[in-house]
Amino acid sequence: MPRLGFVLRVALGVAALLVALAMLKGRGVSGQPEAIVRARAAFAAIGFTPMGEPTVAYEGDQELAWALERARPGPRGVALAGGQGGAVLWRLSFPGGGEAEVTVGGDVWALRRPAPSDPGPDLFPSVARDRVAAALPLAVHDPGEWQTERVQSWREGGHIWQRARFAGGAGQLPRGWRRELELEMVGSTVVSWRLSVHPLSTDLGVVTGRIAELRVLRRPAMLGLALLVIGVLLAGAEATAYREPVAITRGIGYGVLVAGCALAAGQTAVAAAGQGIVLVAVIALLPTWTDLPAGLARWGPAAGVLLAATVIYGRTFILGAGGFIPVTSLVTSDTSVLRLAGESWLPALVEEPLLRGVLPAFMVPYIGWWGAALAAAPLGALLHPLPAVPLLASLALEAVLQIELALVARVSGVSGAVLARGTCEALVRRAAFPIGTLWDRVALTGVMLGILLLAWPRRRS
Amino acid sequence: MATPTLLKRCAGGVGLALPVALALALPVRSTLLPAAQSPEQATVRAENGTLIVGLLWGKGRSWTRVASGWTVVWQPAHGAWLVRAWVPDDGSEILWRLEAAPWLPGARLNAETAAVLTSAESVAVARDRVGRRDWIVGSRRLLGALPAGGDLPQPAVTLQPVVEGLLAGLLLAGAAARRLVPAVPARGWRHAVLAAGLTLLVALLELTALAGGWLQAGVRPWVAQLAFVSGAVFLLAVLVFAATRFPVSAGPPPTALLPLALAVGILAGRASPLAWLAGTAGLNLRLLVWAACAVLAGWLAGLAGDGLRELLRFVPMLRRFVVVALAVATVARGGPWLGVALAVLAAAAVGGGGGAWLAASVIWGWQFGCVWASCAWPEALWSAVAFLMLGAAVAALVVVRSSRPGTRANAMVSA
Repeated sequence: MPRLGFVLRVALGVAALLVALAMLKGRGVSGQPEAIVRARAAFAAIGFTPMGEPTVAYEGDQELAWALERARPGPRGVALAGGQGGAVLWRLSFPGGGEAEVTVGGDVWALRRPAPSDPGPDLFPSVARDRVAAALPLAVHDPGEWQTERVQSWREGGHIWQRARFAGGAGQLPRGWRRELELEMVGSTVVSWRLSVHPLSTDLGVVTGRIAELRVLRRPAMLGLALLVIGVLLAGAEATAYREPVAITRGIGYGVLVAGCALAAGQTAVAAAGQGIVLVAVIALLPTWTDLPAGLARWGPAAGVLLAATVIYGRTFILGAGGFIPVTSLVTSDTSVLRLAGESWLPALVEEPLLRGVLPAFMVPYIGWWGAALAAAPLGALLHPLPAVPLLASLALEAVLQIELALVARVSGVSGAVLARGTCEALVRRAAFPIGTLWDRVALTGVMLGILLLAWPRRRS
Repeated sequence: MATPTLLKRCAGGVGLALPVALALALPVRSTLLPAAQSPEQATVRAENGTLIVGLLWGKGRSWTRVASGWTVVWQPAHGAWLVRAWVPDDGSEILWRLEAAPWLPGARLNAETAAVLTSAESVAVARDRVGRRDWIVGSRRLLGALPAGGDLPQPAVTLQPVVEGLLAGLLLAGAAARRLVPAVPARGWRHAVLAAGLTLLVALLELTALAGGWLQAGVRPWVAQLAFVSGAVFLLAVLVFAATRFPVSAGPPPTALLPLALAVGILAGRASPLAWLAGTAGLNLRLLVWAACAVLAGWLAGLAGDGLRELLRFVPMLRRFVVVALAVATVARGGPWLGVALAVLAAAAVGGGGGAWLAASVIWGWQFGCVWASCAWPEALWSAVAFLMLGAAVAALVVVRSSRPGTRANAMVSA
């Protein structure tokens, strides 16, 4: 029988890994190699050959991307954000001069080459308008839909410069949106262009309004967590006075881990240290409070895969039901693997001990474990929801996630909940980082740890 | 036999009423001007008296007492913009300001507002654009660009970080002290705090009228109100939980000192009223809210007082001196925390269950004094008198019943 149990556990771990791999398939920001090729081709079209390998950075306009998804729900909106919407793009900077922005869908969004020493004959204002308009096909796929709005000329560095502004209507964008193009020439050579998009205010307004609303709703949740931390401080004083056994070494180790994750997630040193210190106290005191099962954390990562599936397919369900919730993840300014690891595990390491450990420990004598777990659900649901229409759909999805985490904590303890949350966050947040095996490995860290824990021989009592 | 008892009770009644009467009669200069109109009257006056505020701007959702007037906030259900208007008590010009969500290119101004803004007698043509409405006035065009209006008077900054930090520290010290120094808990206080918490929970929806700071342009009002209610629910739940975990110790109330504490509270409230309490006078459930706040604040002041008392055990020789010195410093410094600080000091001076009673008494008087000094419209004043009578009745009941051992009223003061 023990052998059968071992086989079943390993089978569960492998099944979780397969599901996680299936979820990761195709997730991630694509188009980085293609962006370099497209940028080189665009530079070649204006007579410039960039030298060396470019440095590449990922950039995004979060509100614009979500506004496009709001206007065109589902994959069409995602494609627009990475295409003609120009909301998510790669910025390339060549070492020998020349900069370009290419959308993840492969459209060259902006381009600037160094001013050439011999830019060709100057265009006099009387002919400049037509010549600049003739350069339009270099920058856009549908030049017929564009109209020249204004052309400016000035003399600088011995040459005449031209700057033209074009208006392009909505194109493939939703109705009411507008495209603009600004193109510059020196002499008779195109040196730069930049596309921009003017969203319909109602589409943008819904998204920015929801983001502002969620920021307001986060305030009471932060107040709740602050009150919990005050409770921890008081309990710490009491434990010290009564000389209760505390797991101080474990607490310090955990606190260092939290601070490291916070730094990796891009937080300031002060914020990282603050969170680390609070979690030292929480983890040091937790063993004396909680009566949740210990040593069953191995089930956590497999549960985390299930949680990630809930989040991903929950969003699909909301979209299918006629609501709106963003499919694309939050755009991050830094796409390093360290950032992915930090952002994924920090909420798990900070919030789970407070919501699944401290809150039930305080409230169990009065409202029972399940009452405390349900009290933690609204608190946790207000911390990280995405903007949605209706707003309650997003809050409900977060509440479902919180209740599932309470179930995990009941079965496999606080450490199991931490592992489940971290695994889930890593799989969900993976979509905001570039495609690549390195990021996949980081996203699968929790699952691999789960397999290891499931295969680890149990200690005989 | 009955006559001496009656005489005693009459003397007791005079003893109770005299300090309160003196506290009301003494001339005190208040730091706030009393509000001649209620927030409701101010809202109606703004809606009727100025053309900028119409149905278009949504309904009045919040009010705050600022200087010698009320700042009232209107916001439509979609939340894309909000209007703040400062309505002075003396009937002079109403100042207003319109704020719109940052993503909005403008607002749909109504014809009257456009006329006010352009100083035109009549506005001819409206032209609706995406997210805004423009008005064409002769050869001029008024774009629906915002914000519009002028600057409003801002509430006086009442933050006193040192005092607030000290009070928070004393609360923590009191909580630790009540856990570490075992005592028989007073069940009555626990029930009173629970009842106060439930009362405020019932009144929460009405209390959103005082949460103007949560309203923002671009955030729908129901979301802002939900955030306020959620925060308040968390806070009330923690207070009720704390009342169970850090209970007041059982002990007889200092009956002789209760009227005096009430009078001190009244004087403190009259001298430095809290503007927020003037806002509560505009609520329909004001009496319940005041009573619940007094119980909760009294309990908290008792907790902080216990913390101070335990801290002063380190300097037993100087204890009385420190309490008196702190009292003098508190009175000299004044400020909106005067009543609360005096309640903490009173609780620290007496200690235990008696301290909590004394603190609650000071707070009760302070709340009355605040409303008495900062509100001048009849409904608020009558409610304040009723609140004082209620407090006096409770004090009298406690004085009378606590003199009889074994009665049910003693549940408040014993385990």
